[in-house]
Amino acid sequence: MARPRRLDAQLSERALKSPYEVLGVPPTASVSAIQSAYRTLAKKLHPDLNPGDKTAEERFKEVAAAYDLLSDAEKRKRFDNGEIDASGAEKPQQRYYRDYASADQNHPYADTSGFGDFAEGDDPFAELFRRSQRSRANRRGDDLHYRLAIDFSDSIAGASKRLTLPDGGTLEVKIPAGLVDGQTIRLRGKGAPGIGEGGPGDALIQIDVLPDPRFTRDGDDILLELPVSLSEAVLGGKVRVPTPTGDVTMSVPKGSNTGTTLRLKGKGAPRRGGGHGDELVRLKIVLPRGEDPELTAFVSGWPKGKQFNPREENAS
Amino acid sequence: MKLTKREFLLSSGIEGETLELWLEHSWLIPEQTAAGPAFSELDAARARLIIELRDNIGANEAGIDVILHLVDQLNGMRWALRQVGQTMAGQPVRDVDQRDLP
Repeated sequence: MARPRRLDAQLSERALKSPYEVLGVPPTASVSAIQSAYRTLAKKLHPDLNPGDKTAEERFKEVAAAYDLLSDAEKRKRFDNGEIDASGAEKPQQRYYRDYASADQNHPYADTSGFGDFAEGDDPFAELFRRSQRSRANRRGDDLHYRLAIDFSDSIAGASKRLTLPDGGTLEVKIPAGLVDGQTIRLRGKGAPGIGEGGPGDALIQIDVLPDPRFTRDGDDILLELPVSLSEAVLGGKVRVPTPTGDVTMSVPKGSNTGTTLRLKGKGAPRRGGGHGDELVRLKIVLPRGEDPELTAFVSGWPKGKQFNPREENAS
Repeated sequence: MKLTKREFLLSSGIEGETLELWLEHSWLIPEQTAAGPAFSELDAARARLIIELRDNIGANEAGIDVILHLVDQLNGMRWALRQVGQTMAGQPVRDVDQRDLP
């Protein structure tokens, strides 16, 4: 059933805001007030200053149409007299600068300096960015994957290693100080050659750190268990301690015990953002091998040694 | 379709002197051909933006310079972001084949 005509007219009237309402000015507004209202809205809504904002674009179209009607004295008079309505004011669809400028970057105004720094990093996003910047016709070479085993001490101090490739070539691999087991080093451009201007891929080298019987890594710190003699523990003294960067001398304090942990400051792995972790030396008292009559005699004649029960001490 | 300088002046409604100033500022960079500058639809759309900035938004010369520079960076960024999106959609993460060294 057809809708009554009057209702139709009401509906379209309601949908169509008056150009004065659109610009937010009274019907008595002066020419300069209308212009200033339009400028204020255009600053906020212009599609080239809001690329991607559909709502702003719709609003701007409305605003531009209203301004087009009210800025023309003749049209404004006819509108005020009810001779024309606001619907006739819509401008023909015009394409905005952004419709051309963001479609591709093969034009003289293309400016990619805004994200130049994005592509320089080493994170996966930067890698994606580099990959997307290369055109499809110019395919980038594949990344090639390798593995390299290094000593624990090299992983802490850093080193330069030569990797022999399956095809007989070699790659110089700089091991950064403080690298952790399983970390991958990317050598940019050392992968398979690309097609066209795609450029070569990268060499990705996974580093396996060989375990060291002495050292264990805990974050930036290095743990070491150091055997000491009973007399070194009881009387104290200087002992030689291995670190990944060479041996150092350390004082064992008088009255040390198995489990006493001493800190060698700065002898650990380099920290992110400067400084080094520590080497934590855990003492372990080791008695001389075999039976020693003198020690047996001494302990037998030492009453406190028999009274002391370390298990009870632990329990309490 | 490319426009000659005359056609461009007529369709954009700007004065020859104004165009010279814009070319000097590199606000417009038309293609140079043997028959003189050739203006693309992109150039025309950019000219409309400059006119809008000058006449209706009230930007002065320095302001237009800054706005164009930022608008170009923004469009470059939007383009690049779309490329990244396409790259992500088209290239699923794949397992790498590892090669053990002898």
